Amino acid sequence: MSWAWLHKFGSPKWFFYWSYAWARPLFVSGLLVLVVGLIWGLAFAPEDYQQGNSVRIIYLHVPAAMLAQSCYLALGIAGLVGLVWRIKTAAIFINAMAPIGAVMAFIALVTGAIWGKTAWGAWWVWDARLTSMLVLFLLYMGIIALQNSLEEVALADKSAAVISLVGLINLPIIKYSVVWWNTLHQGATFTLTDKPAMPASMWLPLLVAVIGFYVLVVGLVLWRMQSDILWRERRTSWVKQEVTKHGVY
Amino acid sequence: MTYTSFMRAQYAVLWRSKQDVLNALLFFVIVVTLFPLGIDPSPAFLTPAAGGIVWCATVLALLMAIEGVFKEDYRDGSMEQWVVSGLSLSLLVLIKVMLQWGAVVLPLLVMTPLLGQMLFLPNDDLGVLMLTLLLGTPSIFLMGALGAALTVSLKQGAMLVMLLILPFYVPVIIFATSGLQAAQAGLPYSGFLAMLLAMSLLSLVVSPFLSAIAIKASVN
Amino acid sequence: MHFSVSLTISGLGIERSDRDLCRDLSFSVQAGEAIRILGENGAGKSSLLKVVAGVMSVQEGQIFFADQDVTLDRRLLQQTMIYIGHSTGLKERLSVAENIAFYSPHAPLDQVDQALRQLGLFHLQDVLVKSLSAGQARRVALARLWFTNASLWLLDEPFAALDASGVAMLEAHIQQHLSRGGMVLLTTHQAPCSLSVRELALVP
Repeated sequence: MSWAWLHKFGSPKWFFYWSYAWARPLFVSGLLVLVVGLIWGLAFAPEDYQQGNSVRIIYLHVPAAMLAQSCYLALGIAGLVGLVWRIKTAAIFINAMAPIGAVMAFIALVTGAIWGKTAWGAWWVWDARLTSMLVLFLLYMGIIALQNSLEEVALADKSAAVISLVGLINLPIIKYSVVWWNTLHQGATFTLTDKPAMPASMWLPLLVAVIGFYVLVVGLVLWRMQSDILWRERRTSWVKQEVTKHGVY
Repeated sequence: MTYTSFMRAQYAVLWRSKQDVLNALLFFVIVVTLFPLGIDPSPAFLTPAAGGIVWCATVLALLMAIEGVFKEDYRDGSMEQWVVSGLSLSLLVLIKVMLQWGAVVLPLLVMTPLLGQMLFLPNDDLGVLMLTLLLGTPSIFLMGALGAALTVSLKQGAMLVMLLILPFYVPVIIFATSGLQAAQAGLPYSGFLAMLLAMSLLSLVVSPFLSAIAIKASVN
Repeated sequence: MHFSVSLTISGLGIERSDRDLCRDLSFSVQAGEAIRILGENGAGKSSLLKVVAGVMSVQEGQIFFADQDVTLDRRLLQQTMIYIGHSTGLKERLSVAENIAFYSPHAPLDQVDQALRQLGLFHLQDVLVKSLSAGQARRVALARLWFTNASLWLLDEPFAALDASGVAMLEAHIQQHLSRGGMVLLTTHQAPCSLSVRELALVP
């Protein structure tokens, strides 16, 4: 089997030109879809018969929580790819993705707390989802802190890849240990997101919002990767040409 | 350099730096002491909380002990010699961590019955607590060593190691304290011990290998 | 014993902290040859030694040792190589004898005694390295060269902190190694007096 495509993918210059056309259209369309989903969900979707209007926060909370986990999965896979095939693009991806994932986890935490205040009457409950989201947020902050502390680029790249990979291995264990700990200590709390029957009028806008979030994040990551590539390759002739031709982004 | 000469040298260095080990143990005692002082000294609080208190103190003390474990080797250039020795870097890391584990955890286990008395832990549960420590601490050490390897090139890395590695300790702490609670409630607890052993074995597979990668990237 | 291997480096590129230290560097070291690497501060002299030793990774190019490509797997080379870096690798909390036992565990005791006498370290055997002077510590680090069968020596500033007698002793020892067909790659500020070396300039 030929791995040539992988190494082509690993060339930052090739990646820059390949992703050049994609980043901004993806970002803009993601934003549009997200706005549609949010307006639909916040203004037109029916309210919940138990929780009233407060349930509308799921249109923000659920996509952010999903993204926070997906981003970590992507980080871990990128870490593995970067370590095994020594691909520069993987490190650039981790750099670009970690802060986005952290923001998503933060949004999920804040919206979860607000929702908790209306549903449970407390800003924070040691619920399994919230707790594992808090741990996830800390994992993201660890990666970011490590990247910022190590000044040598090659070392920072490799270290971030290592810790992302460890996180990927450990995240399921952490998550299930927390879920299990939660059942041990609280008995059955009613879960908010596992509603058995959510009517289509509610899950459709949710689906739109989730898709919008995903597309938006993909576009944002590509965009961030491009600017990181330009910075890292700033001494090369192709970047100098690129910048003199198109100006600074 | 051979594996045996490496082990001898590390052992000798460890013996000459016993004060560091002692500091970690004293830190452990101080953290344990803070709980009754800060929360409640009555047996009604301390008996059920003892396992959690001992485990939190253990995790913090062990992380303090392991956080700088490679710093001196990095500074004096012997880490470069590990890399060029032609020996397996993962195995060297494992030897070093396991020696450190023996030096810190064995005295800590000896002290645990005393602290158990201070925390009003019933004697029947003491054995379970010590078993959880014995089975869980290898994982704590191995993951801590990974954090130490990742930050070895930094002058001040203790806080960063805490931030990086503490989240990974969540399952170990949960399984250990739940095991003790199960034992206190008269329920079977062998499953928890098995989980702790599994965590330690997983760390044994993952940590030396990845620590070696981190060390190789750091000595550059 | 006599060595008859050679080291060939072809098209080597070294990059460090986002900076090219050298591009397309090719040279070879034959049995019985010493090469002194020249270059300004920061030209990458130490880095070149580290790359050959396997401490730093190769960005591009290949390294051949004994007619085998060791670019990716350096173990074959490392088994018959000694690298003494700028930081010597001595453990400060160990004594002179313990450090020697750490790095050269197979050295016979009488040989150790003899070498320590020659290096003027015999009476310091049980002193911790922490309390030695820089020159004495350098001698302890270099003592490894007296107990080794390695064919390739990579020495980063081996003469630093050595006094005149130490320099002469080391030069004589290197000369002896070369006469047995050994290879030496070294960096040094002053040109060695009695040692015949080939010079290799690193230009950025």
